[in-house]
Amino acid sequence: MTAFVRILGYTKPSFSIKTLFRKIYTTAKLNHGEYEWQDPKSPDEVVNITFVTKDGEKVPVKGKVGDNVLYLAHRYKIPMEGACEASLACTTCHVYVKSDHELTPAEEKEEDLLDMAPFLKENSRLGCQIILTKELEGLELELPQATRNFYVDGHTPAPH
Amino acid sequence: MVATSKFPQAAKIVKNITRSRSQTVTPAFCPHLENLNEAKPYSEIPGPKPIPILGNTWRLLPIIGQYDVSDVAKLSELFYKEYGKIVKLSGLVGRPDLLFIYDANEIEKIYRQEGPTPFRPSMPCLVRYKSVVRKDFFGDVGGVVGVHGEPWRRFRSTVQKPILQVQTVKKYIEPIENVTNYFIQRMMEMQNDDQEMPSDFDNEIHKWALECIGRVSLDARLGCLDPNLPPDSEPQKIIEAAKYALRNVAILELKFPFWRYFPTSLWTRYVQNMDYFVEICMKHIDAAMERLKSKTVLDEKDLSLVERILANEPDPKTAYILALDLILVGIDTISMAVCSILYQLATRPEQQEKMYQELKRVMPDPNTPLNTKLLDQMDFLKAFVKEVLRVYSTVIGNGRTLQQDTIIHGYRIPKGVQVVFPTLITGSMEEFVSQSNEFIPERWMKKSSSDYKIHPFASLPYGYGARMCLGRRFADLEIQVLLAKLIRSYKLEYHHEPLEYKVTFMYAPDGPLRFKVIKREE
Repeated sequence: MTAFVRILGYTKPSFSIKTLFRKIYTTAKLNHGEYEWQDPKSPDEVVNITFVTKDGEKVPVKGKVGDNVLYLAHRYKIPMEGACEASLACTTCHVYVKSDHELTPAEEKEEDLLDMAPFLKENSRLGCQIILTKELEGLELELPQATRNFYVDGHTPAPH
Repeated sequence: MVATSKFPQAAKIVKNITRSRSQTVTPAFCPHLENLNEAKPYSEIPGPKPIPILGNTWRLLPIIGQYDVSDVAKLSELFYKEYGKIVKLSGLVGRPDLLFIYDANEIEKIYRQEGPTPFRPSMPCLVRYKSVVRKDFFGDVGGVVGVHGEPWRRFRSTVQKPILQVQTVKKYIEPIENVTNYFIQRMMEMQNDDQEMPSDFDNEIHKWALECIGRVSLDARLGCLDPNLPPDSEPQKIIEAAKYALRNVAILELKFPFWRYFPTSLWTRYVQNMDYFVEICMKHIDAAMERLKSKTVLDEKDLSLVERILANEPDPKTAYILALDLILVGIDTISMAVCSILYQLATRPEQQEKMYQELKRVMPDPNTPLNTKLLDQMDFLKAFVKEVLRVYSTVIGNGRTLQQDTIIHGYRIPKGVQVVFPTLITGSMEEFVSQSNEFIPERWMKKSSSDYKIHPFASLPYGYGARMCLGRRFADLEIQVLLAKLIRSYKLEYHHEPLEYKVTFMYAPDGPLRFKVIKREE
């Protein structure tokens, strides 16, 4: 029972590691989408890409080097869901790469998941695994008809 | 509908290359087109009638595959043979109806329809412990197991990135290899005169899994693998607690569920046991917190899993509770899977030889430390594990509680029903998996997968989607490291009566795993 005396007597640590931590927070890859909300700091960083919605509408988006396509889509209200938050457990950020850009080949875990994506095509990728680089300027990504059958009827998924 | 299945390696480059069989895929599932009112009524679903003769047998059924006492694996198969692809089991005492679905297409449909917070029923004991007995501690930070809705989503969202992300998992190759090397050394010391493992070898595998999960979730070497632990030592107490927590859950939940009404002695013991786990988790997490305070961190990548969580969530409670959940579900699952995989290897010498040849090619020097690049080349090893989990899925099924009325197989299913996906059965249905009765690891290898059909939702040992197994990457890693180290240097044989697979807690070979372990000549 001693354990719970301690539990009940729990007090918050007097310092916050989080503040300390923010300063050293540098990598874009490990974020939860905060990085994508920052505007490019210089024109060198800009990567222009285009999303094509399932209705065929083209939405140009100004991204930057290091942006994760999933979180960039969230920022600009592109209906790309990402139920598992880029942890490679679902296929709800499935996209088709329409342009001729050479992407880093998908690793095994992404390939395994793509096998489970509805409306899979040869140019299918998971949006959460695409990180923008300068080489991807002009990239065109099309959203599939549905990432789940649920949304075929026009329901728009909201990122959560 | 045609299953979207494995496509060849060539398709990896995005441009202009055809993903072979995926071209024909037109998902034929569109539930919104199916009118709920036109569906057949729920009452017409076939299934055994809840009649008195069968009475108590049903009480022995699992809630959702993880814990059960009778041979549910066989029962599930009988249901399918007797009633077909959808079977309703109603009239359960104090429980919602169970609906078994033996159809990968319907399972796919249900997984794809899940909202942002799928409901995965499990472990009533743990739920009560967290939400009633220690409500003061857990509050609304329940963890992931047995927690639902918004509290679940919030917790999962906090922890899932570090724990599922390949970059974090990668850092544990070396620590897990260290634990495993010591375990293999211990195995050699355990050999009897015939070079065989002792009959309680499964217990040793449990200790290995406990040591691994402790290293991951507590940042500590617990010392559970040491021989001759004094009975009052911490590692020994942890071993006992783990054994008790897991084995007695089945009894508590199914045979003597009276704790729901008043505290039975078994229940009191369960609570004490859980308290001990919480104490251990707090002790080690607090120590990790102290270490972190004095650590100069330059990059988030340098932090361990526990440290990343502590750094982002200053209230260490998240780390305590995550560690508790990982320990509770990460010992039996992984160790029983390992028992099963080792048994299959020992009884399939030709395939073991293939794995050995692959390992020899990838690691010409058996003492080469493992890394991602080496593990990535172990295609046969990984395919073998997948095949064992297809044919002998350690967790026999997964499940969801429906959050809304749903049409399944043309029937209207009311919300609240527990749907069971028996992956053990669907993974072996010829309709979804070609040559389903044969053990063919190659079917999972990209270069030969075009010869075999596998419905992507037929064999899902880890589930799918927002509630996919949180420990999956660590489970895969621990299994891969153990096989890579063991099979590279030793040959396994089994010279006793064949073992039968049974569900005791998990689906695994039932009996002493007296493997003969022979050192390979270099």
